[in-house]
Amino acid sequence: MNNKRLLLHFILFSLIALHCSLIITGCSSFFIRFITKSFENLPNSPDTVAAKIAHPIFQNVGLSVLWVGHATCLIQIDDKIFLTDPIFSETAGMISKRRIEPGILPSSIDKLDYILISHIHFDHLNYGSLSILPKSAAVLMPTGSAEYVPEFGFSDYHEMNPWTTFEADGVRITAVPVKHFSGRYGFDGAWLNHNTYTGYVVEYKGKTVFFAGDTGYDPEKFKTIGEKFRINVALIPIAPIEPHEFMKHVHADPEEALHIFDDVHAKIMIPIHHRTFVQGLDSTLTFAENQLRLLASERKLGDRMLILKVGEQRIIIP
Amino acid sequence: MLTQRTIWCGSILFIGMMFLVSWQKAVAQEHEQRSGISNSWLIMQVVPSVSWTCFPAQTRFSFEWEATPILYSWGMTKLDPPLHFFFVTQPERFAGSVEFNISMQLYTSQVRASHWGFSGQLLAHLPLVEHGEYVGLNLGVARYNIAGVSSNYVVGGFSTLFGFLHYNIKYSPGNEIWMHSIEFRFF
Repeated sequence: MNNKRLLLHFILFSLIALHCSLIITGCSSFFIRFITKSFENLPNSPDTVAAKIAHPIFQNVGLSVLWVGHATCLIQIDDKIFLTDPIFSETAGMISKRRIEPGILPSSIDKLDYILISHIHFDHLNYGSLSILPKSAAVLMPTGSAEYVPEFGFSDYHEMNPWTTFEADGVRITAVPVKHFSGRYGFDGAWLNHNTYTGYVVEYKGKTVFFAGDTGYDPEKFKTIGEKFRINVALIPIAPIEPHEFMKHVHADPEEALHIFDDVHAKIMIPIHHRTFVQGLDSTLTFAENQLRLLASERKLGDRMLILKVGEQRIIIP
Repeated sequence: MLTQRTIWCGSILFIGMMFLVSWQKAVAQEHEQRSGISNSWLIMQVVPSVSWTCFPAQTRFSFEWEATPILYSWGMTKLDPPLHFFFVTQPERFAGSVEFNISMQLYTSQVRASHWGFSGQLLAHLPLVEHGEYVGLNLGVARYNIAGVSSNYVVGGFSTLFGFLHYNIKYSPGNEIWMHSIEFRFF
């Protein structure tokens, strides 16, 4: 074999090796099992939500929360309507399948003031869902997200750094630090110059709601939030749990969610980010919820723990 | 000699990459909020695209490396500047954009005593499904210099998988050359 062919074969071999190593690096056992689980569920239709609320917005209410599913909550504080991490689509990122319908039809949201995006992962920043929501809303997102958010025609867009506050028309929305990870497509987190994730504290007319988005447990961060605000309702993620060694760094399990609840000194906790999509390797859809019920019962939280069904709406303050 | 050319091309590529890193770092210091070229990003750019070029009498397989000196994006919000240099996030491309990109091809078999091809392409990316994240349309023109012979091409194709995977067909009417490219675009 002459030098020329030898060199070409070397280049060819190197490129194939590079491809293989990229694939192997990306395909840890967890990743393969998650993909397999997701593909298994793709043909299944999501469970239906009986008697969806057709008119979720009240004429007069102090504070209400409707859990649409996953991290999507419709929050009403007096005359202002907030929607968190809207996702109404059948999949998150093409393959993670929705297991239960959204709790309401997007068309039933006929008034919307603010959309809060906690981060840019597929299950929190969903292009299809943003396309169909009322354009009167302003969109708030963590700094760095603008590189990932196409124009949807909303009235305004704001990027927010931790501990900065957006104020308009009596509404105060403060971005608060949480513990998660950046990027949208996996490896892009490595070269983003900032943390593209946040939580929010919404204050309006003396009522305060904490939306944790998607987070692991970091006592320092949450205790600071608890010192700065008097929170009526905390929307805290409780899943996925498994594989715990991996998830614990970026996702709070039910016990850690209760620590967050304690740290922020909220009056009421509503668990989110569970029972909606195929996520992690949790054995059943209600795996996290069942654990939370047990823990809440042991701690005698009673009415302070509101475990909503998908599509259920509660008036917290009439 | 192929080896001499390889050394020259490799050196130029290396120097170019080093220039990009230093330049982008300087830019990043001025605008801390923007993401940009980093070592991990550079590693992803090494992953080549592949293409099959059907000449009138023979078909040749090649690896292709692309860079985007400039891209104008019209599909993003007012918060994201429309002009991008080398570093382009997936949505900035697939949500609606036009880019000028350059590429270098390495043919695994000789074409007229050479293994190298170079191109400049002007490509528009039009979103079709989910603002282009699921499916987008590519349209444009290209000029390839393959083994010293230049020809113009029209380009058409689509992108999918969050803008990472592109399939483009390129046709040179003057020389009856067809090119089928499977392109991996990593930011």
